[in-house]
Amino acid sequence: MALALNTVATLAWRNLWRNYRRTLIMLAAITLGVWAMIFMSAMMRGMTDSVIGNGLALLPGEVQVHHPDFRRDPSVVNRMPAPSEELTGILDSPPVTGWSARVRVPAVVSSERDSRGVVLLGIDPQREAALGSLPQEIIAGRFLESADDRGVVLGASLARRLETELGKRVVLMSQDPDNNVADKGVRVVGIYRARLQGTEDLFVYAGLTPMQAMLGIGNDVSEIAATADDYRAVSQWYPQVEAAAGDNLEVLPWTELDSYLGTLLKVQDGFTLVFMVVVFLVLAFGLVNTLIMAVFERVREIGLMQALGMKPALILAQILLESVFLLVLGLVVGNLLAWVTIKPMESGIELSGVAEGLEMAGMSATLYPTLDVRDMLMATLVVLALGLVASILPAWRAANLDPITALAKN
Amino acid sequence: MSAIHCQALCKTFRQGEEVITGLNNVSLQVEKGEFLCLSGPSGSGKTTLLNALGGLATPDSGEITVGEHRIDQLSKGALAEVRLRNIGFVFQAYNLVPVLSARENVEFVMQVQGVAAAERRRLADAILEEVGLTGMEDRLPAELSGGQQQRVAVARAIVSKPELVLADEPTANLDSKSAAELMGLFVALNRDRGITFVIATHDSRVMAYARRLIKMVDGVVVSDEQQAPQF
Amino acid sequence: MNITWRLAWRNLWRHRRRTWLTVGAMIFCNVLMVFLISIQLGSYTMMIDNTLNAATGHLQVQHRGYLDDQKMRQTVPAAAALAERLRGTPGLQSVAARASAFALASSEERSFGIQVTGVQVDFEAGVSTFPGLLQRGRYLREPLADEVVIGSVLAENLKVDVGDEITLLGSGLDGSFAAAIANVVGIVETGIEQVDRSVAQVALPWFQQVFAMGDHGHVVVARVNDLEGVADAVVRVQQQLSDPDLVALDWDTLQPGLRQAITSDMASAWFMYGTLIVLVAFSALNTQLMSVLERTREFGVMLALGLGPGRLARLVGIESLIMAALGLGIGVLLGALVVWYFHLFGFHLPGMEEMASRFNLPDRMYPEVSLVSIFWGPGTVFLGVLLAAIYPALRLYRLQPVEAMRAV
Repeated sequence: MALALNTVATLAWRNLWRNYRRTLIMLAAITLGVWAMIFMSAMMRGMTDSVIGNGLALLPGEVQVHHPDFRRDPSVVNRMPAPSEELTGILDSPPVTGWSARVRVPAVVSSERDSRGVVLLGIDPQREAALGSLPQEIIAGRFLESADDRGVVLGASLARRLETELGKRVVLMSQDPDNNVADKGVRVVGIYRARLQGTEDLFVYAGLTPMQAMLGIGNDVSEIAATADDYRAVSQWYPQVEAAAGDNLEVLPWTELDSYLGTLLKVQDGFTLVFMVVVFLVLAFGLVNTLIMAVFERVREIGLMQALGMKPALILAQILLESVFLLVLGLVVGNLLAWVTIKPMESGIELSGVAEGLEMAGMSATLYPTLDVRDMLMATLVVLALGLVASILPAWRAANLDPITALAKN
Repeated sequence: MSAIHCQALCKTFRQGEEVITGLNNVSLQVEKGEFLCLSGPSGSGKTTLLNALGGLATPDSGEITVGEHRIDQLSKGALAEVRLRNIGFVFQAYNLVPVLSARENVEFVMQVQGVAAAERRRLADAILEEVGLTGMEDRLPAELSGGQQQRVAVARAIVSKPELVLADEPTANLDSKSAAELMGLFVALNRDRGITFVIATHDSRVMAYARRLIKMVDGVVVSDEQQAPQF
Repeated sequence: MNITWRLAWRNLWRHRRRTWLTVGAMIFCNVLMVFLISIQLGSYTMMIDNTLNAATGHLQVQHRGYLDDQKMRQTVPAAAALAERLRGTPGLQSVAARASAFALASSEERSFGIQVTGVQVDFEAGVSTFPGLLQRGRYLREPLADEVVIGSVLAENLKVDVGDEITLLGSGLDGSFAAAIANVVGIVETGIEQVDRSVAQVALPWFQQVFAMGDHGHVVVARVNDLEGVADAVVRVQQQLSDPDLVALDWDTLQPGLRQAITSDMASAWFMYGTLIVLVAFSALNTQLMSVLERTREFGVMLALGLGPGRLARLVGIESLIMAALGLGIGVLLGALVVWYFHLFGFHLPGMEEMASRFNLPDRMYPEVSLVSIFWGPGTVFLGVLLAAIYPALRLYRLQPVEAMRAV
């Protein structure tokens, strides 16, 4: 049997090259299909990573702890005490790589010329660094140095709109828990640039301690954010945080904090598979066609083999092997081509022409395609599995030819 | 003016390492209205000569004149035009377009010649009647016998009223009766229309009809004799 | 029917299964593309409409630079009068003036910094959907009444309802301190959280009084009758602006993200379509090449009979044309049926609501039914298949009759 299979494999391989033009065209089609599958996946993955990455940097973190009413009503009233020892115990151990307790309140920032509504963040810069939520780039001055820093850091766009600049004073105004105006004059110590302009307009950074003092909330904070540096793994550790936080606090993973991002991840995985299957279906028409032709041309030959005593199972195997050779060749070349074309692009593709449109979708202007072995495997699996299914019909027909009629065919 | 005049035709082929002589200094003169057979074993050069006369293969050297056309000097397009209008071809069996009916096979050539539709149909039916296929105009080649298929091929060849018909093994794949009928048709066309026939064959049944018999071996004409047709 | 066409047609059906598989690939691809492109174009239209109808309008007159900086002093003088004047411009459907300023809005329990917009009570409904999206209460009525309409989330955050008062604190155009108390008369819910969290509208004259704006406003918003006519309308409006500091801007400039989002979405969609089209073309190429190669003998005979290779190439071209036309016809028919069905009953992808609302789309989509949406994709497939016939047809020119006739 092994010997027979060996012979059949040789036959299948040689037959593949009898009509080399047809084989090459089909090979080109499979290669293109596989390449497109992987390329599209890499693009989608890059896009999703970009959107989710930006989203998580804004959230920030993959898990957040809040007062149960805070998300609906982000007021200073809905605050919580500084994290308990039990909670910090969890947050200080793996897989959590960084966490930060922050004050986050709606506020008004006024310069001599103008006022704007913003979200005021009272933070500890060291903790924020571990969380990965520092502004993209400081273009003037410096960032906050410690939780006690008395300065304020504004976004470049906000600074322009307020007509203020580094070293000038601005007034921060918010409400304290009793709805009295809480305000404080502060000096602009830094200007930051963010990936998205909307971010620059929205967030104002100040030291945690001065803000707690301004609002008169002692050591209380608005939110605790934590990260483990792998957004897909969040479901594994957020229940521990939830348990440690107790019943009085709301603990949510990013997929629920920002349901757009959560949906996006699902949509990306779904879309990648759908795209692969659709591309394959179009390919399948050609594949089945090629095999049917290959069988049709060789009806006499197959009849002869049957007459010589070759078992139908071996004929089936021969046609299937021919298909597998074709598919595997296409897969190898397609995967290689994808590797060669995508790898150089991983350093980023400039899409600044449509930057604002991408911002609408939460993306940065540079797209970083991500070649993932899982996508290559998925494409390979889809093509091979469905390819075999599609080949069964022609192979079955070949195996069940009547030798007498087949031999008599002109 | 003679129907065919050729002078010192030479043609060699390459088959692998070997160089095969197809035609070796062949000269030939055929008058209008002749009924001529080229005979010889396979590889003797008869088909090569026939192809050269029809402009299907260009000789390495030598001159060919068919009617008023210098075949060896014409461009491909002009050759096609000559074949279309001045020369009729009949090949071995199975050379009809399988998806066209008998009438359509004949009409197809006329359409290319630019004959109007109504005229095409009239001519096709008339010519099919002449070759004895009345009532079978709408049959596809697969529905006709080998002899009938060849008669359609003859009809196709003569519908443009060529002065010359070249036939290459026309009776191959035919049974004796069909072969005899086909040859009878050739003879009748030669007699009634004055069409010159050059037939390459190694079928002795065919040679019997010829008034002139040329024997070839290894690309050389070894005998060229007038003979009395036996039918 | 001409014999060449008849011949081409019959040749196609020599290998019934092969032809149907090739045409099937086209049909599959066409139906898919008709459906996707219709949904796409439908959603683009909705995206544009929903985004622009909310507040932006199709074009705006602004002070130069206001778009980028949104500074209070970048005003449009005599805004209401300008709006009135522009109402006569051909092509414009409705025009309304607005002014906006930043203010700290306080209720008894909460304070938020918000953008207050002064609108022309009688005209705002023509350029914005807000007045029609009242959840409770009523819209503004009197030009000088101290009334405010706010978004539902803002109302919730401020913990106010219809009938409650909110205090607005800000600064006037002259730098003076601006303060006023307004009664909440209506609460708007657009369903888009960002908007519902920030919208606060008051009557324009009252606004001008509170913020010491005189007769100035910040923008004059207009809607056009026909989206295609925006460019012309912008030119006509610009001609009527005597003040060199004023500019007329179209929606594309006002919301640059919108068209770019569409462009980038189109690009990625066309990558997918392009892949499918090329694959279908390969399939057609393979079929035609096979059909040419297996007829080598037949073509040889035809060449020997004196038919030029050009005529044979035309035959092969016609065969491809028929196949492409079959794919186009059946694909468009089926695709149109699918699109028509969803056009009537809407198309809903469960779990996509979040994605949709991010782009101001409802969760049920209605595909666009138009010649473009239906024929765009299939037309490209058609061309691709015809292009694929070139290689097999060219091979005919290399055919030598004698050798071809010897082929099996």
